[in-house]
Amino acid sequence: MGFADHFPALIVVVLFIAAFVSPLLFRWVEKATAPFVIAALVAALIMTTALLVRVQQSGPVLYHMGGWAPPWGIEFKADLLRIFILLIVISVSLWIFIYAVRDLKHELKKEVTGWYYTLFALLVGSMTGMALTNDLFNLFVLMEICAIAACAIISIKEDRECLEASFKYLILSAMGTGCFLLGVAMLYMATGYLNYSLLQLELVETLTLYPRNIFAAAALFIVAFGTKAALFPLHVWLPDAHASAPSPSSAMLSGLVIKIYAFALFLIFYQVFPRELLDLIPLNEIILWLASLGTMFGSIYAMLQTDLKKMLAYSSIGQIGYIFMGIGFDHNLALIGGFYHIMVHAVTKAMLFMVAGVIIYSTGVRQIKDLAGIGRVLPLTMLAFTIGSASMIGIPGTGGLISKWYLSLSALEIGRPFFVLIILASSLLNAIYYMPIVISAFMHQEDFQFKVKPVPFFMQAALVVGMFFIVIFGIFSKPVVTLLEQAVISLF
Amino acid sequence: MRITSRLVAPFIQIYGIYVILHGHLSPGGGFSGGAIFGASLVLIALSFNLEAGVKQISHQTASILESGGAFGYVLTGLVAIVLGGNYLANRAAGFPMGQAGQLFSGGAILIITVFVGIKVASTIVTLFYNIIEGEK
Amino acid sequence: MLSKIIGNYYYMVAIILFVIGMYTMLTHANMIKKVIAMNIMDTSVFLLFVAIGYTHGGQAPIIKEGSEAIYVNPLPGALMLTGIVVAVSVTAYALSLAVKIYRYYGTCDYDEICEIRSQE
Repeated sequence: MGFADHFPALIVVVLFIAAFVSPLLFRWVEKATAPFVIAALVAALIMTTALLVRVQQSGPVLYHMGGWAPPWGIEFKADLLRIFILLIVISVSLWIFIYAVRDLKHELKKEVTGWYYTLFALLVGSMTGMALTNDLFNLFVLMEICAIAACAIISIKEDRECLEASFKYLILSAMGTGCFLLGVAMLYMATGYLNYSLLQLELVETLTLYPRNIFAAAALFIVAFGTKAALFPLHVWLPDAHASAPSPSSAMLSGLVIKIYAFALFLIFYQVFPRELLDLIPLNEIILWLASLGTMFGSIYAMLQTDLKKMLAYSSIGQIGYIFMGIGFDHNLALIGGFYHIMVHAVTKAMLFMVAGVIIYSTGVRQIKDLAGIGRVLPLTMLAFTIGSASMIGIPGTGGLISKWYLSLSALEIGRPFFVLIILASSLLNAIYYMPIVISAFMHQEDFQFKVKPVPFFMQAALVVGMFFIVIFGIFSKPVVTLLEQAVISLF
Repeated sequence: MRITSRLVAPFIQIYGIYVILHGHLSPGGGFSGGAIFGASLVLIALSFNLEAGVKQISHQTASILESGGAFGYVLTGLVAIVLGGNYLANRAAGFPMGQAGQLFSGGAILIITVFVGIKVASTIVTLFYNIIEGEK
Repeated sequence: MLSKIIGNYYYMVAIILFVIGMYTMLTHANMIKKVIAMNIMDTSVFLLFVAIGYTHGGQAPIIKEGSEAIYVNPLPGALMLTGIVVAVSVTAYALSLAVKIYRYYGTCDYDEICEIRSQE
């Protein structure tokens, strides 16, 4: 086998090597740690692109760890959807990391910065593993690595609020993990397999023999992944955690971590459970209604906030509702809309949190009412905020419109126009709390009250890259939509 | 207490190394053996004062062993790729197998278990140092 | 029906422990109690998993020379070793967070912490 055949494993391995070697590098050669992690991320990105070319030519790639075929061994699978998510995760992490290297100097103490790089690399490595794996227990182990790394990049700042928020996140996440493991035990009891493909073949007949085990497993999986991905009633940890973390951590968490759990739920419902399960209990209805409530309530809570980062965190709850709606409609156009929204929201929310970080870095302001008139002092930053808000609302020309368009099309095609009303209403609610900030930033009468430090070059470059991609995703959406259509066809 | 712990600590360490090395033959393996070995070092630091414990394993040594153990595990998997199998392959990649039931059998399992044992022992020691020194 | 419940008593014990752990974790206010309850919840799932692997009349899965016996399925036990290590890491991290929060507020009780924060 050539070297290129090992890429599915090597993508995860390179990131874990970067995570393990960073503390040693930071102790001896401090300047080389950040370039080392950047090199590992770039290597992973190159390998993912090569894997994409190969999968488009010859179909899904299966990789057996250690040469053992399933059910004795762990399997990694790379098909179009998983590689799409991998590309999003690795490229957005690279972008956030370049921003973080400059921003962390004023948010963290000097000696813990090396540990931050380790946690960052562990987080990205575990997310790529979760997207690639085809085995339930491997998913459990990687999910736990992701949970600990995500809690640790919040609590590394060692403020009072971020310690409490991190503890709350850890306890609720541990509850989700316990439920997930119990669900895996239910499935293992009934079938004896842990591999996704073998489980799907086996569950078709097990559903008639042991229906209650499968129902219990499905319910436990919804609770587990709903807690970790902030589905509506289980979202209570998200505002504190994302608002009190350092800005690159907030961008990472809001942009990528909650999406990868939604993607894992999608994989389990479409590639493990059989389609006959939906005739017995309407799982997709439950997810659909909870997601619709989430979009409305996320925006309603966001309107009442006074702190900038808390408002962005509540807005994340609303936007993750769109992704769950895409999963819940059970139609191929809705899946295209949901996955496009994963891509657009990752870029947009990361950029909005970077804007918040730049504002805090140069002025120290966190309250919304103090942001009046800031557009004249930091024009590039507020332009980025305007384009990000336009994408959140769904204004044509930005990426947010394409995903909402596909979701509405799919709602009309399955004959439920009520959800088009919900999508429109939540877009209106998004406008109610984003537009006043933009308007008062640029057009307020008085000048900005606080002192302004100049913004460093790398942070500005990161914002420009974000703006560029949001507009590209809004106007030139055809390549990505074609890729997603190809990817989704195999599921129906 | 001090005399007892100074007498007993080498025996605990030998027992820990035994559990690590026989990971493929009897219950135990890397995690539990490493925990036993780490517990002996924590015992010395608890019964004497902290400086005696730090003299046994300093902060720098613990940090290097931790990262080195994890890096060695990943490296063993990469060696399997170089030798021709998949990642972390054992017999398919050509690691020496030996007789089932002997000490040096099982190929890559023994190497991985030793690295995991080193890492777990140094992690327990590092955790202990951080919690105790944070209180001062 | 009752004979089924009493025959499978290890499954019942595991589920009862799981529910006790989850209820305590969500409702009790003391942070250390939450961490202990999280451990109980994880341990109950490990118990369930290992109990699944039991075969009637089986022995411990260590092969002796020349004996033909039925062995208990060792796969769930090996999986749960990894799970136990994961639970230990999460417990260690949660306890260190609890220690740091205690140093800031002087109390381990979450309700008192909320009161202190609401007065500021």
